[in-house]
Amino acid sequence: MLTPANYVLALIGVPLVGGVLACAVPWRGVRTVVVCLTATLTALVGVLAVIAGPFSITCGAWSDPTALALELLLIGVIVAFAWEARAWLIVLLALVQLGLCLTEQFSAGAHLLATPTFILDTLSSILVIIVCVIGALIVVYATGYMREHAAHAPRTTAGDRRFFLVLVGFLGVMNGLVLANNLRWLAVFWESTTLCSFLLIGHEGTAEARANALRALLINAFGGVALSLAALLAAHRGGITSLDGIMSAQALVPMALLCIAAMTKSAQFPFQSWLLGAMVAPTPVSALLHSATMVKAGSYLILRLAPAFAGTRLLDVVALAGGFTFAIAAALAVSQSNAKRVLAYSTISNLGLIVACAGIATPLAYAAAIMILCYHAASKGLLFLCVGAIEQKIGSRDIEDMGSLLYTMPLTTVITLTGMLTMLMPPFGMLMSKLMAIEAAIEAPFVLLLVIAGSALTVFFWAKWIGRMQTVSYHPHYPRETMPFSMSSVLVVLCALVAGGGVASILVYRTLIEPMALHTFATASAHTIAALHAAGNLLSWPVFVFPLLAALAWLWTIARFNPAHVRLPYLAGENYEEKELSYAFLSIKDQPAVAWTTSLYFKHTLNELRITPWANLIAWLLVLSLLGVLGM
Amino acid sequence: MIGRLVLVVLVVLGAPLLGALLNGADRILTARMQGRIGPPLLQPFYDLLKLFRKEPLVLNRIQIGYVYLHLAFMLMTIVLITLGQDMLLALFTHAFSTLSLVIGGMSVRSPYSRIGSQRKIMQMLAYEPVLILLVVGIYLRTGSFMAGAVAHLDAPLITSLPLVFLAFLVALEIKLEKSPFDVATSHHAHQELVKGITIEYAGPYLGIIELTHFYETFFLLALVTAFFVTHVWLGVLVAMAVYGAAILVDNVCARMRTTWMVRYMWTVPVALAVCNIIWLYLQPHVGR
Repeated sequence: MLTPANYVLALIGVPLVGGVLACAVPWRGVRTVVVCLTATLTALVGVLAVIAGPFSITCGAWSDPTALALELLLIGVIVAFAWEARAWLIVLLALVQLGLCLTEQFSAGAHLLATPTFILDTLSSILVIIVCVIGALIVVYATGYMREHAAHAPRTTAGDRRFFLVLVGFLGVMNGLVLANNLRWLAVFWESTTLCSFLLIGHEGTAEARANALRALLINAFGGVALSLAALLAAHRGGITSLDGIMSAQALVPMALLCIAAMTKSAQFPFQSWLLGAMVAPTPVSALLHSATMVKAGSYLILRLAPAFAGTRLLDVVALAGGFTFAIAAALAVSQSNAKRVLAYSTISNLGLIVACAGIATPLAYAAAIMILCYHAASKGLLFLCVGAIEQKIGSRDIEDMGSLLYTMPLTTVITLTGMLTMLMPPFGMLMSKLMAIEAAIEAPFVLLLVIAGSALTVFFWAKWIGRMQTVSYHPHYPRETMPFSMSSVLVVLCALVAGGGVASILVYRTLIEPMALHTFATASAHTIAALHAAGNLLSWPVFVFPLLAALAWLWTIARFNPAHVRLPYLAGENYEEKELSYAFLSIKDQPAVAWTTSLYFKHTLNELRITPWANLIAWLLVLSLLGVLGM
Repeated sequence: MIGRLVLVVLVVLGAPLLGALLNGADRILTARMQGRIGPPLLQPFYDLLKLFRKEPLVLNRIQIGYVYLHLAFMLMTIVLITLGQDMLLALFTHAFSTLSLVIGGMSVRSPYSRIGSQRKIMQMLAYEPVLILLVVGIYLRTGSFMAGAVAHLDAPLITSLPLVFLAFLVALEIKLEKSPFDVATSHHAHQELVKGITIEYAGPYLGIIELTHFYETFFLLALVTAFFVTHVWLGVLVAMAVYGAAILVDNVCARMRTTWMVRYMWTVPVALAVCNIIWLYLQPHVGR
């Protein structure tokens, strides 16, 4: 067995080494093998570490100078990239951050308390599992995807070698981020993920990709400054150097700054624009960084810290900001017909719900937030991978172009539909956690209204998409779909994971999440504990036999289906019947025409360009009110 | 345990009978308002039996599954409420029952069906906040999400949730597909879109949709009754009166646009319901 220190080293080191190896290998075939082996090993290490946990390790005297050196190096790299792109604002922000780091290092009076450098507790275990298992699957998928992608990528595209270095290495730094308790190490990994995101968004090297990558760098550099300022103020006001130090001292000022840093990373309004721009990256990047793992870092940070601040006014504002993001992002998702933008807005929206629940900070809200975090990572990762496969096949990511896909690519479409249904169908995990979120939001009436509005809008945009995707003519037989094995196998495995885990959501809640929430909120009031128990107390689960029976009845009906019962649609009696099963009607001059109705997008009412500035204004006011604690 | 099981069986078997009778009464009442005599009271039963004996005509195999899910989730809702279980879960299963019909209606290449389905989602968008606020109001009153807790109240819900009740009545008008909200599918032949969402269903599948509609009518009027739960008979009378009023409104109103419906619902009834919820938060013993 490995020691805890070795586990931490392996969790961070295996993907980093694998990434470097993949970069060093010049042959594509060998690189694929290296990447797949690294992914397998990472998943294995992740699972073993979680089984061996919980543990915490305290590094020796070498740790602080090393972290500082790495942080300075990272800031230097960011400055270099920004300098090259003539992005002076980013240079400025990075230099401010540099100043903050050095001030913290060389200012006297910071007496250090001995706290663990890295902690693997239940919350970080959940994140480690998401990173290592879902992340590994996405990386394997990327090997197949990038081979196809290289064929029609623009000429400016950076090589596959750099791509896999960053993508695989990212798993390591993300593991480091969720394990770090020491603020300096947290900053090192935080900046590393920013850099990974920057490099991967700019992968294609087009003008748009470069601009969007710089925007992501700018906004996350702002978050980095907030993080460094939080560390500086924490060290100055009580010699705190770690997250659990902030929690035990209930240091409101660092907490507020960390919440702002978290909002940038989790792309909460008003910082959402970088995540929307990040959709120019190849789809595995969107799946891994911009939905399943990296953007979760922000909500993870708030979730980790919030229990210590339960009941403070600061968290009320955080909850409101999260609820606002949830509702407004859902509304904007309704107006989008670009599949990746819908997914991006939906991701922002769900992250907002996690932040809102973290801000409510009752045991039930905490449990709901963790449930959403897990189930969203799995479902959304899967959906991004599906959209990637679809885009490669049909050359479009517009939802309106996704009709009849059930016939052209049945496997992917069925998996996509499963993924989407797990986002809103009972008894899957997302719906159950949304139910818990509403029950928890009763404690915060304003958030409750936002959550109700957001939930109604969420159902709207998913239903439109599901409806469009499964529109299909009658076909007696469906063809087999051809896709690289690395892609299809990952889709099938992830789909099974999402569906299986989703159905077991109540079981997961009762065996895993509920004890965790109880442990975290050891001193919560009896009233809130009762609410926690009541939410999982689903005595009536046998009623889920009804949908199961419906599914069986469907299979039975299909098995004894008689093709003679197939009819044409009602077209006001003007069906064009020269060819068999034509969906056209007789139009002007008896010419055949096909009736086409698009879905409703309300592009005028929910105009993105018109709403975003106002939403940003409100969100900036909320962020500013978070800063109110600075005066204390 | 046995008692509860018997109750569930009774409700599952009895609800469609009552629902069908209510629909029969609706048809007679509507006919009288329009100066016709109307069909016999038992006509919905005859229709249903006839539908189940017809050929199962479809456009594709996918739409069949969603009809089954439509019924299954409605049954689930009824059973959850009968057993006094989590109301929010019941609300979501109820919503998914409607959503199944929407997705089923969208799965066929038929313009009318698609337009009807889109409008049905708009309807859901319009009334769903009211229903969630209803559950929140009941929670604030009883301190539990369990439907069973309503039975133990000392004063009927209507005394503490009058505005939510009004908002719910408007939502009811949408749910029963009555004018001015009957945009997705209608009982009246004069509308611009008569059978939208259900147009591509025939025979037994249409029968299942009708059956689910019977369950739904029963379920919604049972909810009205629940507002008067310490005085059940008064509740039943009010439910009958509400149903009659819904039919009257149906016959005196023209169909309005879907966007108007959403705007109206999110302003007037939702605002009323929110106002009522604020009252409850203001009471010292409610909430935290």
